[in-house]
Amino acid sequence: MRYLANRTVYMVVILAISSVAVFYAIRLSGGDATAARLPASATEADRETLREVLGLNDPIYQQYFTYMGRLLSGDLGNSLTNNALISKMVIEHGRNSIILGAAAFLLVFVVGVPLGMLASVRRNTFMDQGIMSLSVAGMAVPNFWLALLSIWLFASVLGWLPSAGCCEPRQLILPAIVLAAEGTALTVRMTRSAMLENLDSDWVRTLRAGGLSEARVIGKHVFRNALIPIISLAGLRIGQIVGYALIVEVIFGWPGLGQVLVNAVLRRDYPVAQFFSLVLVVMVVLGNWLADLGYLAANPRLRKA
Amino acid sequence: MATPLLSVRDLTTVIRTEGIEFEVVRGVSFDMYPNEILGLVGESGCGKTMTALSVMGLIPSPAARIAGGEVLFRDRELVSLPEREMREVRGDDISMIFQDPLTSLDPMFSIGHLLTEVIRHHRSVSRSEAEAMALRALAEVELPDPETRMNQYPHQLSGGMRQRVMIAMALMLDPDILIADEPTTALDVTVQAQILDRLLAQQRRRGMSMLLITHDLGVVAAVADRVAVMYSGEIVEQAPVTQLFSDPQHPYTQGLLRAVPQTRHQRGALHTIPGRVPPPQFVPPGCPFSPRCSQALVRCWEEHPELVPENGRHLRCFNPQPLSPA
Repeated sequence: MRYLANRTVYMVVILAISSVAVFYAIRLSGGDATAARLPASATEADRETLREVLGLNDPIYQQYFTYMGRLLSGDLGNSLTNNALISKMVIEHGRNSIILGAAAFLLVFVVGVPLGMLASVRRNTFMDQGIMSLSVAGMAVPNFWLALLSIWLFASVLGWLPSAGCCEPRQLILPAIVLAAEGTALTVRMTRSAMLENLDSDWVRTLRAGGLSEARVIGKHVFRNALIPIISLAGLRIGQIVGYALIVEVIFGWPGLGQVLVNAVLRRDYPVAQFFSLVLVVMVVLGNWLADLGYLAANPRLRKA
Repeated sequence: MATPLLSVRDLTTVIRTEGIEFEVVRGVSFDMYPNEILGLVGESGCGKTMTALSVMGLIPSPAARIAGGEVLFRDRELVSLPEREMREVRGDDISMIFQDPLTSLDPMFSIGHLLTEVIRHHRSVSRSEAEAMALRALAEVELPDPETRMNQYPHQLSGGMRQRVMIAMALMLDPDILIADEPTTALDVTVQAQILDRLLAQQRRRGMSMLLITHDLGVVAAVADRVAVMYSGEIVEQAPVTQLFSDPQHPYTQGLLRAVPQTRHQRGALHTIPGRVPPPQFVPPGCPFSPRCSQALVRCWEEHPELVPENGRHLRCFNPQPLSPA
């Protein structure tokens, strides 16, 4: 319980710090927020009036407190570019992002863990080397490149899958695979090494001496022990997926949080960029918090101090 | 004597490193009888544990393999027994206790879970019956408060308690043969005596046959019926315990006995055997002990001595001399 309380406080502090960082970073990066809102023919006087109305001429710290005050009272504000309600945008695009992210996260473990187990059981065989080479490739190829390659191959050449769009299952396949690639590769390696490490332990010999089958010893006991590092790194995988989603969503035209955030930053749509990046931070922090919980639940040595 | 329960014949086990195979157990033969303790002694690295693991069919594969010999148990030959059938023997007919109780129990599962899993692998009993059996086994090795322990995890138990759990696990299915590989080495001296005492009480009560692997000659002298001395993967001398300790014949056995500290009339430095056990890849031709032997003949360097039976003793030496008073 103490641990959980600590973790929760830590989460709030991270959120506060990152909200300041994001707020300053966007405003200090230059650019003109009025460019997207007003037609190109607008005069400098028009632009100045709009800045005044939006409060963009106030000192940044003052803008921050005004913004946070509204945010905490539940007012997320409107987009500067099209005046849309940010709360509505988050729900709509958030849903898409969660679909894509969850699919990728599932792939990472559903594919990564069994492949890693297979490689460890068939250690130093052709199978092991094949899986390991694939996983090196998965880590080495940048995902934007993998995205382009997969669009070229599966959409242009073979014509099996659509190259972009939302939100049919067929359109989900490519972006989910690309988004999951690196995490899967890392999970394969992690699972393999965790399995091998536990396979060498003394208690494996004890279980074998008790007559248990290899399937039982490896599939249940060794796997159960290997699960601890796998779970504790699941938090990192969530962060990775959230980060990569920015790129993958843009390439595949998947209208998720990442795509909106990228556009908002490019257009200096401050309130949208501000809130969407906070949402991403919350997802990463929450993911880590969940992984901590899972780690706690999976490890009997930590359950009771 | 009665017919042996377990008979090991010419057992040879090899380990492969970097493509070359080395013999770590070389033509080992011994018999085990019901209601008897056979002590297996020797320095570290002389092949005691590998012999035990070979009998259990638990040698690390594929790095090691049994290259020859047989293990006869009842009317079965265990070396060639299919793994499926061997699994039924392990933990049920023949069990084994390992050296380090701290690392020998799966940390992720409760004691009760580990014990009942093994029970239910061998016996078709319900969960509650298995739990009752496990509880009985824990009580028999005098583990304090066994009901609580059943729900505890290995890390919540002390080293001595964990070794009691290991013993309970090895004994709960009433095996004919128990192999105890240095069961007390990793424990506190005060706990060692208690554990050994529990082990012996159970062995006597069940009339079980026990292979006690140790380098503690004091323990062997106190509890074993017969003793086999191993050196460099071979048995060099085997005899009933009183005979071996009163009249050791092999120079290696003599050296081991003289190296035991005596509390009475102890003068000067402790006796040591010069040199060390040769690693399996550098076993000298002839008698493997010859480079360290004070009474080696030219023949000992050239010819490999056989294990020769004589008056209930087996000896592998060309030039045995009576033990000179140290």
